[in-house]
Amino acid sequence: MNSVLWVQFCKDKRSPLFILLFIAGSILATLLFAGGVYSPTTVAIFSEEENASEIEKKWESLLNVDNSFKFEIVDPEKARENVKDGNMDVAVMLMETDYRLVATSELPSVSYVQQHVEKVFQREAQISAIAETRGEGDVRSEIESYLADAPFQLETQGLDSEQVPKYNMSTQLLFAFTFLISMFILGLKVNNVTNDKVSGIWDRMILSPMKKTSMYCGYVLYSFLITMFQIIVVLLLFKYVMNYEVGDNLWLVMMIAAFFTFSMISIAMLITGFVRTPEQFYAIYPSLIPLIPLISGAYMMPGTITNPVLLFVADLFPLAHAMEAIMSVIFYDAGLQDVMMSLLFMLLIGVVAMGVGINLIERRSK
Amino acid sequence: MLETINLSKSFKGKKVVQDVNLYLNNGESVGLLGPNGAGKSTTISMISTLIKPTSGEIKLNGVNTIDKPGEIRRISGVVPQELALYQELSAYENLKFFGAIYKMTGKELEKGIQQALEFVGLEARQKDLVKTYSGGMKRRLNIAAALLHQPKILILDEPTVGIDPQSRNHILETVRMLNQKDGTTILYTSHYMEEVEQLCDRLYIMDHGKIIAAGTKAELLSILSTEDTIKVELNKLDETFVEQVKTIEGVRKVEASHLQLKIIATKGSNLISKLVHLAEQHHLQLINFHTETPSLEDVFLQLTGRTLRN
Repeated sequence: MNSVLWVQFCKDKRSPLFILLFIAGSILATLLFAGGVYSPTTVAIFSEEENASEIEKKWESLLNVDNSFKFEIVDPEKARENVKDGNMDVAVMLMETDYRLVATSELPSVSYVQQHVEKVFQREAQISAIAETRGEGDVRSEIESYLADAPFQLETQGLDSEQVPKYNMSTQLLFAFTFLISMFILGLKVNNVTNDKVSGIWDRMILSPMKKTSMYCGYVLYSFLITMFQIIVVLLLFKYVMNYEVGDNLWLVMMIAAFFTFSMISIAMLITGFVRTPEQFYAIYPSLIPLIPLISGAYMMPGTITNPVLLFVADLFPLAHAMEAIMSVIFYDAGLQDVMMSLLFMLLIGVVAMGVGINLIERRSK
Repeated sequence: MLETINLSKSFKGKKVVQDVNLYLNNGESVGLLGPNGAGKSTTISMISTLIKPTSGEIKLNGVNTIDKPGEIRRISGVVPQELALYQELSAYENLKFFGAIYKMTGKELEKGIQQALEFVGLEARQKDLVKTYSGGMKRRLNIAAALLHQPKILILDEPTVGIDPQSRNHILETVRMLNQKDGTTILYTSHYMEEVEQLCDRLYIMDHGKIIAAGTKAELLSILSTEDTIKVELNKLDETFVEQVKTIEGVRKVEASHLQLKIIATKGSNLISKLVHLAEQHHLQLINFHTETPSLEDVFLQLTGRTLRN
């Protein structure tokens, strides 16, 4: 087994571009579709009133209250031009006690900005109204200290009495694309069995004292290790460099990824069992793989797919189980016990597919 | 040492090898000759235990290797027809891998690699990637990979396919040295008559999955001892002329190609005068005319009615 591992590693060492390109592809796809490096959205603000700079400064400090948006004072002409050219989705024109949004279309981002700005302006309007009624003292400080320890407080709790977690689609897409690329890597590595069979290297191994179990283990283990390498590199990069929310229980996430990798390797082995040549595998496998995340709903919010047939088909592939388990770990602090069912499903798929796949390969050899 | 008894193999009901009986004595060099599709590769795949026969037996020193494949695998090396090498690795790395699967390690492996490379004359290019090698060099490395564990029986399946004459001579010389100096038993399959004639002590001729003749070269040639092979070159070839030649008394086979006729006839058929007479009748001019010593090619033609490379 060691010699098979060594020779597969030597081949990749000679031409590492294949693996590097796939890792880069995985990172790029996530950045492209999941919104890039996690940073607050910048929104341009400007005023065209007489005391424009005063108004801009006042609302800038009031609008920049959390990390979701960063409001920046911009020249009115430039702000309009940026929106017109599509460089920005929205800009905010400020007035003394009111605002106008400058946008070209009803994008979701415009609604988010409007919600935030509306909230700030309403709050300020309320404070101003109270100040006018009272007519004296620092009303703002009073309200803030009162709200800090209000007699009635609204607290949202989850079923397990914990805080309701915020679902982050970027994290889901990160895993969806990482697993998509990993499926390609592992498939092409498993296809080395067919490559070596066609070239006659497999026969040389059969005639050697090496056991068949060791031969298969060598190929499977190498596919596993190289795929896990890609997954780990991508996840660590997104967690520590790009500040993506990958959760605190990274070991459990890696464990789920390992079960997924084994399970998918088995499916690749099953497909290998159906084909005669590496070319047939290259034709079938890449056509099939992009469908799995679609069926499994990996690119969509949980609960989007409701069709029972699609849900059943999704359950036949390990991706749906892996995504469910990982999202539970990251967003709902699920432990090993909670994801055990998903792990067992993946293991079952893996064992069955591997068994049938190797059986088919062996039958073909006779 | 090694013998097959009524060895047969069928694929999807079609018999590709039928009742093959052959034997190899220790230190002998035996050729298995036949055209493409004759069943040579299937036969040696069964002998080397890569595929199981449908029926029959293979015995190595009396032990049935179908039940105990390890017996023959341990002492045999197989050079497959295809280039079973990792093209993206160097010759050294390839041999290191093929040695490692035979559980060779450390100094033993290193020594084996260098010996095998030296034997096939590739020691100077051992660090180069196989994909940069010529066809002949790849074929030599293909042989080296089968020599690493110093097998007692070397089975070569058409090891010279598609290479230049110089590389072919190098390979034939290597095989001869293995047989004569190291005493390795050789089973060599080919459809090149001259290679088998040059290398092998004994021959088996296969066609349509059956052994159709066996023996030493002299024994096989004796099949034609009662016949003459005559080659006639004409200024043009006339089909009626060819058909009439076939009807001449004593003519057994006629093969026409371009402007030449190859005629196998019973010795003393007085063919020459009859041919001259017939050519005159057809207004044909005889340009060249000679009687040949029969070759194994002629034996094959006699036995099967076609040439080896048909």
